[in-house]
Amino acid sequence: MSETLPPNGEGSWADALQELAQRRTAAQALGGPAAVDKHHAQGRLTIRERIQGLVDEGSFSEVGTLTGAGRYESGKLAGVTPAPYVMGLAEIDGRPVAIGGEDFTVRGGTSWSGDRKKGGQGGFVEDLAHHYRMPLVCLIDGAGGSVTSITRRGHSVFPGVHGFERSVQLLGEVPVVCAVVGTAAGGPAGRAILSHWSVMVQDTSHVFAAGPPVVERSLGQKVTKEELGGPAMAVETAGTIDNVAASEQQCFEMVQRFLSYMPRNVWELPPRGPRTDQPDRRDEALRSIVPENRRRPYDMRRLIRGVVDQESVFEIQPSFGKALITCLARMNGYVVGVIANNPMVNGGAMDVKAARKQTHFIELCDTFHIPLVFLVDVPGFLVGKEAEAAATLREGMRSVYVGLQATVPIFTVVIRKCYGMAGMGTTDKNGLDFKVAWPSAEWGSLPIEGGVAAAFRREIEASKEPKTREAEIEAELRSASSPFRTAEAFGVEEIIDPRETRPLLCRFIAAAQGKMQTLLGPKPKAGVRP
Amino acid sequence: MAATKLLSEVTGSVWEITTQVGQKLAPGDTVMVLESMKMEIPVLCEDGGTLTEILVAKGDSVAEGQLLAVIAT
Repeated sequence: MSETLPPNGEGSWADALQELAQRRTAAQALGGPAAVDKHHAQGRLTIRERIQGLVDEGSFSEVGTLTGAGRYESGKLAGVTPAPYVMGLAEIDGRPVAIGGEDFTVRGGTSWSGDRKKGGQGGFVEDLAHHYRMPLVCLIDGAGGSVTSITRRGHSVFPGVHGFERSVQLLGEVPVVCAVVGTAAGGPAGRAILSHWSVMVQDTSHVFAAGPPVVERSLGQKVTKEELGGPAMAVETAGTIDNVAASEQQCFEMVQRFLSYMPRNVWELPPRGPRTDQPDRRDEALRSIVPENRRRPYDMRRLIRGVVDQESVFEIQPSFGKALITCLARMNGYVVGVIANNPMVNGGAMDVKAARKQTHFIELCDTFHIPLVFLVDVPGFLVGKEAEAAATLREGMRSVYVGLQATVPIFTVVIRKCYGMAGMGTTDKNGLDFKVAWPSAEWGSLPIEGGVAAAFRREIEASKEPKTREAEIEAELRSASSPFRTAEAFGVEEIIDPRETRPLLCRFIAAAQGKMQTLLGPKPKAGVRP
Repeated sequence: MAATKLLSEVTGSVWEITTQVGQKLAPGDTVMVLESMKMEIPVLCEDGGTLTEILVAKGDSVAEGQLLAVIAT
């Protein structure tokens, strides 16, 4: 069937199509050449360059291209200032996402209101992610509300009347990634936190509840933007943002990498990745990685690499709560979440930051049906006055609670120490998910050297040589606490040669896939977290 | 010449200093050992260089983030 096209002129909609082209050109121009140059001079990309840099080439379908404020002369369009938010649908590694971000070159990316909000809490882009059940990627570069909106609207806006509920709902439905690529304060800063994973860029990104002028006005504190909300504060000290990237380009690569481990939504399993490593590979270095001297630590990151698929590790929060290592990885292609204590920091003892990190990571993996692998070497919660003041006990028990509520399979490999309540949080207590141990493993309610003096006080004091007696008791208890004796009592399922860890875990993870398929969907929320 | 500052990652005390000022270090060499939570934590020189300064002595208490040594790279 052929169609006769009308010639240019009457009936060809030439004027309307020309106006459409004019409006599209205005949208592409963002805040205009001067504003874009200024933005580039600060080492920052525009929102359009960011989207282009992150998504598959040619995959971006913009939504709301024509939004903005038109200027008219004698009823004819003279120009358009675009809305300071660009968004739409796109693909990353061939998988669909909803993506959007503030345009800093238009009024510093401050919020804009047309008939319907484009981005930010509850913006159209968030509805897209919800409606199509696809990941949401927010590229955050905005300072949030401005008091000038009172003049514009004629009234002040009640905070967050509509929108936050969608942002919250998404956390149980689809992966939400927030990249802070500029200065984020107020609403956009809050938006960044309502995510499964967040990242910011070294030198050009800052995130805080309020910036230096507000801080100085409120508290008289003089601080720089970098001190208040650069990565040293937001990532390494506070853990407000999860990871830091050296450049915007690296930031995009990290977003792509994070999403490669995620399912499209909670109703699907995570995608199985490439099978590039032999499931029965035995890393000979694991045999002697744990020193026989209990006081000597070892490189837990090296140990992890010896167990999971090569090149598959993506560490979450590598510079926060360093007594614990949390990473996404693959085992024979299947996505797993690895939680490992780091004996190099606090001897692996769980401090308040490590506890927060563990809680978040368990929730992340549980929500997206990613089985957990614990590599345990934890002497307990961190002790002392500072640790108590920081509420280590409460944060630690919260992480234990969240671990026990998780329904994904939890595989536990005890590498060395597994003590006390922190140790309790590393296993699936009553399920059939396995806990196995290396011959170097030891466990109990507390480490022997810490408990002997208290438990045998009278006997030690009555002895003529108390120090010698204490050492004798310690030696007796230690010989009885061999992991082999617990295995005799079936208190632990297997003791394994460290080199067998990978083959064994690969089999368990494969076997767990059947159960995982029966667990799909959102996780019910129950109870009160301690 | 650039200088790398070695900071303590832990709170604890200096257990043993295994190097001397002026010593050339290969990447991964242990500069000193700290004791923290009953563990001996090695402080490693990641990139190699020449040890130009040691700011702590055996037995000193150290705080997280404290400067321990300086290496010229």
